[in-house]
Amino acid sequence: MNIEEYEKYKKLKSKGLKPKNQLPCAAAIIAFSVFLSIYLGIINFESFKYWVIGLGFGFILQKSRFCFTAAFRDPYLTGSTALTKAALLSFAITSVGFTVIKYIYFNRGLPIPGMDYVAPISFATLIGAFIFGIGMVISGGCASGTFMRIGEGFQLQIVTLVFFVIGSFWAAHDYLWWEKIFISKGFRVFLPDIFGWIGGLSVNLLIILSLYFLVKRLGKSRN
Amino acid sequence: MKIFEKINNDESYKKIFKNSYPYVLGGILLAIVQIINFTVTGSPWGVTGVLANWGASIFELFGGSVENWHFFEIGNYSISMDYNLLNSPESMRNIGIVIGALISTLLASEFKFKKIKNIKQISGAILGGLLMGYGARIAFGCNIGALFSGIASLSLSGWIYGIFMFFGVIVGSKILVKYLI
Repeated sequence: MNIEEYEKYKKLKSKGLKPKNQLPCAAAIIAFSVFLSIYLGIINFESFKYWVIGLGFGFILQKSRFCFTAAFRDPYLTGSTALTKAALLSFAITSVGFTVIKYIYFNRGLPIPGMDYVAPISFATLIGAFIFGIGMVISGGCASGTFMRIGEGFQLQIVTLVFFVIGSFWAAHDYLWWEKIFISKGFRVFLPDIFGWIGGLSVNLLIILSLYFLVKRLGKSRN
Repeated sequence: MKIFEKINNDESYKKIFKNSYPYVLGGILLAIVQIINFTVTGSPWGVTGVLANWGASIFELFGGSVENWHFFEIGNYSISMDYNLLNSPESMRNIGIVIGALISTLLASEFKFKKIKNIKQISGAILGGLLMGYGARIAFGCNIGALFSGIASLSLSGWIYGIFMFFGVIVGSKILVKYLI
């Protein structure tokens, strides 16, 4: 038993509980997931792929206690920066991977995939991101975190999810207005269009690196 | 059953399934799955895009209609009356996150229903949920779709999103400290 396990054991004991082995439950859920995977593989292969990837994301998020809200909130609120630095590392690796894939398509003269994620920048982006930032802090988790916590057994996040859906639907209702006034006047900027492929990736990595050192210094000065 | 006890006490099992991973490892693994996701689906990871469809499906279930809503006429957001989660890949990925996290928690024998503590928590969840839902739609995504995937797609929008999301974090933290805890 290491220290972490011992702490958990002590905490449970103080509540008069014995640590329970939940492996049989895990086995049942895994069996269900395998069954659903096979079923999806037969009826809809796209759904199958997304489902399996979702399982992977959920497992990793939970296992590493990764929370994107905490990554951007904690440097400001508590001064802890470990998660922020890990998120920046993740952004850097993914940038390289995505750019390689996109370049391969470009090089073969094929349409570059995933370009709809190069979103138009407009006043709606600023407002949307701003209220998203407020929302994730006061509810204690963003979208991926909300789904993850429902899996961990949190009841509160079910409330968050319900209102997340209502908020999304509400915005869908108003969407035409936002599009007319702001989004249609927005502009898309794909960095390689300005700096070339290597230049674009370098600029992106340089911003990530600068943020990394900024966050690192912030962490030190707070301590 | 004995076999479960045996697995549970195995040292390498503990390392992989019981103890939590360092953040850096989590970040690396997330990046790898992001890249796999992009390779096999042709699109980066997004979470919230499909949630408006969930709202629309429930709305239609209760007799409403979104037929003339501009949002559902454009892009991938078209929906039909016979909306079926199993045939909605993006929905299945989100449900996958829930079940993946559940499996991870159970394998570590840490699952517990965590009850809602007080009205302040509920207010935070309601208001936070609404703000996130609305914000994500007009900003083209959440921390995953607009920020993580945006930045990884070498889009300037990811960085602009990040700056203004952080302004929101500052305001949100002030609200949190003053009213909610």
